[in-house]
Amino acid sequence: MRKHFRLLGLLALFFTAMAGCKKDDGEEIDTEYPEIVATANSFPQQCSLMMRGQTALIKLTFSDNRELGAYSLDIHNNFDHHNHSTEVNECNLEAKKTPVKPLLFVQNYDIPTGLKRYEATAQIAIPADVDHGDYHFLVRLTDKEGWQTIKGLSIKIQ
Amino acid sequence: MKRWCALFFSCFLTGLVWGQNVEVSVYVSTTDEEAITGAKVSLNHAYALTELSGTAILKNISIGNHLLVVEAKGYAVYEKRIQIDGRKRHFHVKLKPEVNQLKTVEINSSAQHIRKNTDARNIEIVDQQFVQRNLDGSLMKTLDRLPGISSIGIGSGQSKPIIRGLGFNRVVVIDKGIKHEGQQWGADHGLEIDQFATGEIEIIKGPSSFVYGSDAIGGAINLKPVNVPLKQGLGGSVNLIGKTNNKHYGSSVNLFGSNEKWFFDSRATYQNYADYRVPTDKVYVYDYAVNLYNQQLRNTAGRETGLHFSTGYVGKALKTSFYASNSHAKTGFFANAHGLEPRNVDEALHDASDRDIQLPYQTVNHFKLINRTEFSHPNGKTEVELGFQHNYRQEFNRYTAHGYMPPNYPNDMTIPINLERVYDKYIYSGNVKHSFNIHKHQVQMGFNGDFQNNNISGWSFLIPAFQQLNAGVFVYDKYQVEPDLLLHAAMRYDHGFYQFEQYDDWFRSEDVVNGSMVQQYLTRARDFSRNFNSFVWSLGANYNPGKLNIKANIGKSFRMPIAKELAANGVNYHYFSYERGNENLDPEVAYQIDLGLTWTAKRWSVAVNPFYNYFTNYIYLNPTAYHDRFYGAGNQVFEYQQSRVMRYGAELKATYQWLPTLSSEFLGEYVYSEQLSGEKKGFTLPFSPAPSGLLNLTWSPKISNSISDTYFSVDYRLTAAQNNIVPPEKKTPGYQVINLQIGGSLQMNKHNIDLSLQVQNLMDTKYFNHTSFYRLIELPEASRNVVLSLKIPFKSIKKQNNQ
Repeated sequence: MRKHFRLLGLLALFFTAMAGCKKDDGEEIDTEYPEIVATANSFPQQCSLMMRGQTALIKLTFSDNRELGAYSLDIHNNFDHHNHSTEVNECNLEAKKTPVKPLLFVQNYDIPTGLKRYEATAQIAIPADVDHGDYHFLVRLTDKEGWQTIKGLSIKIQ
Repeated sequence: MKRWCALFFSCFLTGLVWGQNVEVSVYVSTTDEEAITGAKVSLNHAYALTELSGTAILKNISIGNHLLVVEAKGYAVYEKRIQIDGRKRHFHVKLKPEVNQLKTVEINSSAQHIRKNTDARNIEIVDQQFVQRNLDGSLMKTLDRLPGISSIGIGSGQSKPIIRGLGFNRVVVIDKGIKHEGQQWGADHGLEIDQFATGEIEIIKGPSSFVYGSDAIGGAINLKPVNVPLKQGLGGSVNLIGKTNNKHYGSSVNLFGSNEKWFFDSRATYQNYADYRVPTDKVYVYDYAVNLYNQQLRNTAGRETGLHFSTGYVGKALKTSFYASNSHAKTGFFANAHGLEPRNVDEALHDASDRDIQLPYQTVNHFKLINRTEFSHPNGKTEVELGFQHNYRQEFNRYTAHGYMPPNYPNDMTIPINLERVYDKYIYSGNVKHSFNIHKHQVQMGFNGDFQNNNISGWSFLIPAFQQLNAGVFVYDKYQVEPDLLLHAAMRYDHGFYQFEQYDDWFRSEDVVNGSMVQQYLTRARDFSRNFNSFVWSLGANYNPGKLNIKANIGKSFRMPIAKELAANGVNYHYFSYERGNENLDPEVAYQIDLGLTWTAKRWSVAVNPFYNYFTNYIYLNPTAYHDRFYGAGNQVFEYQQSRVMRYGAELKATYQWLPTLSSEFLGEYVYSEQLSGEKKGFTLPFSPAPSGLLNLTWSPKISNSISDTYFSVDYRLTAAQNNIVPPEKKTPGYQVINLQIGGSLQMNKHNIDLSLQVQNLMDTKYFNHTSFYRLIELPEASRNVVLSLKIPFKSIKKQNNQ
């Protein structure tokens, strides 16, 4: 019976050794998502208005525990109420309608390297002839490691 | 320790010490004098397997009285006391077919045990009885119980295998000798296999490239055809299945027949299930709250049918069989999160019925035609396998404009408005294998080749159409050094070729060129071709001195990059990502060391299978920090890259027989992976299973003469948290789940009724599975499920007179 215990002991040792083989070179991997920080100055906010024929001034605050990566902005219509809003409160949606000339805006932006916090500003010209109504404003923010946070806001273009 | 050494040396010394020992040869045949290969011939403690000629040689047998035992699958055990006295003795044993042919062979029967001990790789073997007892939504979910095996699934009916943390195109599924080819790369694509139609299932944990070629870098699942014994007359069985969680009902009907030379086997399976249930009223899809009606996941219902027919001829020098099968499935996707994208859905429409399948949904049809022919020679055999497969997958969804797609679907499009993606694949395969024996060497050499033609359609694009050609040659030598020592060596050379077809968008994208706005059609894939060559090898050993079995294997394996890795260029809304292939990828190369230690005592056994695996270039979909407005509609860029990867882990299996009717089992698995280079250095690999253990207690009492094979079994699964993650994964907390299995075989009017009852997730625990496709959107696993399965075999009476 003694050798059985020895065998079991050997196995236990093997498993302990395996479990102990974890990476030990100091630097912990980053598993935190970047954050789109809501501030009083942020624009747009949930249910914000943008006016046709004017330029919208986008102001967003980003933060990350290590280093921010990049972001992209996307405005597309929600005339069919398909909804990607991540906010708790919904805005009063207009009746569903078929798009004729909806605004479509897609742009990606860099963030200077080495930043943990960044105040992003962008200008979006809203053409005068686009359809008015319910739109979505989608912010996709990454950090350097590739973690992505998405914020979907419901906005209106008038 | 002394006994160890004694045991070790006695193996080599017995021949020297007792000079008067003799060599005994035993020829094993059927009652029709046909040789039986692989039968286990034991004389007291010594044993050997019969070779292709049907003969087993046992050396160093002492003169005197011995108990000769011969066992072979499908035949009744032969036992006889024999007297050995001459210098050399020959015996001829004729085996009779097993009395009850319809009963499946027990798990871990001696024949399987022998196979495990004569292969240097780590193998698990299960049969239809295991499938019956552990029946889950799909074959791979059923196999999930085995140590080192997990599955990646979507919904209740579809999943694909993960072996030791590697899945998708890193695990090969072989069905009746031919590699099953569907759309293995997609997490939302299940495996088109009917779990009722499988015979024995062999799972090879660890690389098997040298036999199966590319893709077997992580392991292989070998689905063997159901063996129809000869001279059975007509027989069959009816399976009935019911599940409470998704109101599943199904049936599988089998009819087979055979005479002296011919056999046929047929099966039809139908399954129908409603939306499945999770133990929560609300889920959060990317922070977006979704209320569930009746705790059901909207639109996850499905229908599946499987039709199978096989027929064949068994002669002395020639065996041939044809298999034809068609499997069809129509399954819905969780409507609120198709593509992991929070969507407002028409709840009234979806909640009106839990059995209807609305958009989005997919249909898959897989047709297969296989011929296997075996020619027997005096000293070997030649096997030829030919296969044709057609995989046709359609994904339907409401048209939704993304990126620069027009807001309204144009009227002049030839693609139907709801047809999001189509993958249409034709596969032609051929294998030739020749095996023969020279002295103590069992040599196999062979050729595998296949050609694929892949077409696409639909308004969404991810991978282009392509043609693919693979060809490989291999040689494998198994050398029996001593009765208990086997050495293995194998080499393989492969060549692969891809030709991709150009794809241009059907809609224009906006771009600014020299300050002015232009609208243009983007070219997402260009016309290009790639060639790959690869040389791999493998060395192994088995040492089986009595109660101890040791196996070791070391080898190099490879995988050709798949079409998606080379040429993807589109938005995968499943991950809010834009996937970009890399034309310049090298074939993936891995080195692996496997060990297997098994100690089998009278009442207990312990098996440990550790492995270490090193990839020089693991091909990996890396989420970058960037977005692409042009090809990627503003989504995050996921790019295929190669990095050095180290992996190690082990499985542990321990059994203990408390009483003749009471046994317990522990199954444990652990995998650790780490990227050693590249942008995700220090991170793990995606879909890494968490460490997990399964504690089982089985009570198999003899209740009465009319009930046999009774079992009451409890599985207690403990899974640790998985905090070792890589973007875009989420940390998954640990969980504990209890499953019950109860069953037996009832004897009624000369008929057996096999009954099995399962309760999955007994405590209705809310938990997350790290390798589930729906993990990213915080969908818990299914709630309590009671599965009832009945199998009623039948057989024509007139042929039973020989029993």
